[in-house]
Amino acid sequence: MSGALALPARAARRRSGVTTAALAWRNLWRNRRRTWLTAGGIAFAVWLLVVSVSMQDGGFEVMIDNTARLLVGHVQLQHPKYHDDPALEHLLDDASALAARALATAHVTAALPRAESFALVSAGERSFGARVMGVVPAAEQGASSLPGMVTRGRYLEGPGEAFLGETLARNLDLDVGDEVVLLGTAREGGVAAAVARVVGLYATGQAELDRSLLQIPLDDFRAGWNLADGMAHAVVLLVDRAGNSAAVAAALGGGDAAALDWRALMPEAEQTVEIKRLSTRLFFALIALIVTFSVVNTFMMTVFERTREFGMLMALGMRPGALVRQLCIEALWLGLFGVALGLAVSVALIAVLAGTGIPLPEDAAEIMARYNMPDRMYPAFSLWAAGFAGLVMLLGVQLAVLVPALRLRRLTPVDALRGPE
Amino acid sequence: MRVPLGLLFALGGRNLFRHRRRTAMLLAAICVAVAGVTVMNSLIRGFQQDMRESAVENLTGHIKVLAPGYRDDPGIQKRFELARQWRPDSLAGDMAGWAPRVRVPAVIMSERETRGIQLVGIDPAREDISFLADVPVDGERLEGPEDNRLLLGRALAEQLQTDVGYRVVVMSQGADGRNREAGFRVAGLYDADGTGLEKAFAFTGLDFARAMLDADGVTEVSIRLRDDETRPGERSVAERLRDVFTGQDVLRWEQLEPQAAAMFAFADMAVFIWFLIMMGALVFGLVNTLITAVMERTREFGMLRAVGMRRGLIVMQVVIESTLIMAVGVAIGLGIGAGCVLALADGIDLSAWAAGVEMAGMRSVLVPRLFPGDLALVAGMSLALGVFASLYPAWRAVNIEPLEALRR
Repeated sequence: MSGALALPARAARRRSGVTTAALAWRNLWRNRRRTWLTAGGIAFAVWLLVVSVSMQDGGFEVMIDNTARLLVGHVQLQHPKYHDDPALEHLLDDASALAARALATAHVTAALPRAESFALVSAGERSFGARVMGVVPAAEQGASSLPGMVTRGRYLEGPGEAFLGETLARNLDLDVGDEVVLLGTAREGGVAAAVARVVGLYATGQAELDRSLLQIPLDDFRAGWNLADGMAHAVVLLVDRAGNSAAVAAALGGGDAAALDWRALMPEAEQTVEIKRLSTRLFFALIALIVTFSVVNTFMMTVFERTREFGMLMALGMRPGALVRQLCIEALWLGLFGVALGLAVSVALIAVLAGTGIPLPEDAAEIMARYNMPDRMYPAFSLWAAGFAGLVMLLGVQLAVLVPALRLRRLTPVDALRGPE
Repeated sequence: MRVPLGLLFALGGRNLFRHRRRTAMLLAAICVAVAGVTVMNSLIRGFQQDMRESAVENLTGHIKVLAPGYRDDPGIQKRFELARQWRPDSLAGDMAGWAPRVRVPAVIMSERETRGIQLVGIDPAREDISFLADVPVDGERLEGPEDNRLLLGRALAEQLQTDVGYRVVVMSQGADGRNREAGFRVAGLYDADGTGLEKAFAFTGLDFARAMLDADGVTEVSIRLRDDETRPGERSVAERLRDVFTGQDVLRWEQLEPQAAAMFAFADMAVFIWFLIMMGALVFGLVNTLITAVMERTREFGMLRAVGMRRGLIVMQVVIESTLIMAVGVAIGLGIGAGCVLALADGIDLSAWAAGVEMAGMRSVLVPRLFPGDLALVAGMSLALGVFASLYPAWRAVNIEPLEALRR
């Protein structure tokens, strides 16, 4: 066939495509109630996934941020062996230079050099084991959330001071102003010893931290544990958004120091997120299946009621394949309508909630306040969930329409014109 | 008027059979929803039981007796005499076991490292109530209350860079407030489910711990019950224990592990939330099908009204159809759900997420659990939903005008 003849044929086909689409849309509204109910089911499934994933993601971000800001940080620069074997001799030689380089990197808001070791903490007759952490007080203040959790006294300011958990203080039977003696093993095997005056107590609400952590200025730690100037175990980085942690770790890794992001530092947080994501997907799969069955039913009823109409179209020369195609387009419209409805409701709901926040129950709010975090949860709209839910539902609806549509191919015009049954 | 219920049921059944494929699809949707709810429900229950079990087994017990003030300031000073007060026979019927312990904060030192731990003096024969009973041990277990060796967690041993047969030093405060030190040989290393317990507890013989700390008595008695439910009209075991241990704190696990107790309570809610969401998805399809079933029978309903069928009976006819299909769907769905739970009876291996699982207080293998009460609840709520979903279609059916309908 020549090109000149093919052109008008294609135009005609295109016109007929437009007509089919318009026809399909109108067919959909021949039974309004049914279309609304079916689309409602689709919208419900989409809405459920989008809103629950958005809430979870918002919640995860807060959870990770809280934990990171308290102590661990979003990213840490460490001696390559320190993470697997936190031994005293696995040190960074020039932590200040690393911190300066990190601060010059995009997204990094704070770089906190720290050194840490286990020591026996004694006050009077009493002794307990605790983690002793050397920190730079001026850098910690305003960056880490721990200094904000003071319950008595104040945070560290100068040399010779100690800041410790309330439970540890109670166990040692001491208060602000008392003296503590720290005894441990120094670098190269000597005895590490330091005396400090307690200037403040904190309560994080995490029993483990309140019972077992004591902070002193980093310079005191270096003197006591025989570290050279500039040495530290880690440079703890805070990042503007938890989502940027991996990028920051990638930008800073590769030198003498290993860069670990929160996923490596807090595997339990990562795994909690993972488990919740998995259960959300399982849950959505079930909902999508239930809704798909309903859609199958809708189209079965539609095909049943329109058997005569299809018979007439076939008698006029329409091929069964064209009928199947038309039903598929109807299903596509229905799916698009349902998904659009679901997304519209989700966007509206999340927009409102992201503005006002969801107030948390009272005891949860109390814990949040301790973390210097707002007492409301803010959902973060998940584009991924919107795309995924929309796609799954559109596919489900197409599969659903095939069940009754393929039967049309066995239909003969005469039988069909006689009506159903 | 006598309601011809039998006739209505027969009619309903036949109406459903008129459209076999449509009914089959609706049934499939109901089955998926009910089976999904059943499986989810059993997983949540499994999780809930796990959480209580691990809370109870990590040395807490269902009930624990402590000296007043021990929780704020744990130490050997806060101890009490067991011998004078304790008559375990009086509670033998309710108790699965009990264990006396001395539990004090301590510092453990190897040649290489130092760590803070809880030193727990135990009577090994009595620890069949805690995780120690079924935890695997490398090397040897403790032999008796006079055993002077130490049982360490594997994770702690790795931190201390020590092993079975090596010596470690443990330091803690004695009864007089002065620090005591004792050298121990490591008898064995235990492997708990996560590393939390392994890093926290080191065990030795109860009598040896007392000798080391120069103290009599115990700091706690942990009690495991045969069955954690109190029957109505009966005094709880905790109340009876308070009479025995006058002046001491008698606390239930919910008070000792408030976080686990809060999660436990939340799981009860989660069962309902799941049901509502699954059934919410189902209800759109159910109402849709029922309305169509009513509308295509307009003439029929018109005729029935014309020959004198009462409005009440028409409503009942539609409700019965909905309830019938729901009942069949629920029966099959519960069957499928129970089948899935049986297939999963060996549990789902979550060890790939071990740390996250431990944080949530779960075990690395989640075993789903079915409770007859939950099945009855799901069935009852589903049938109620079937009735609820049929109300609008029934209202449509009642409002069919006989004359209008017959003219169509």
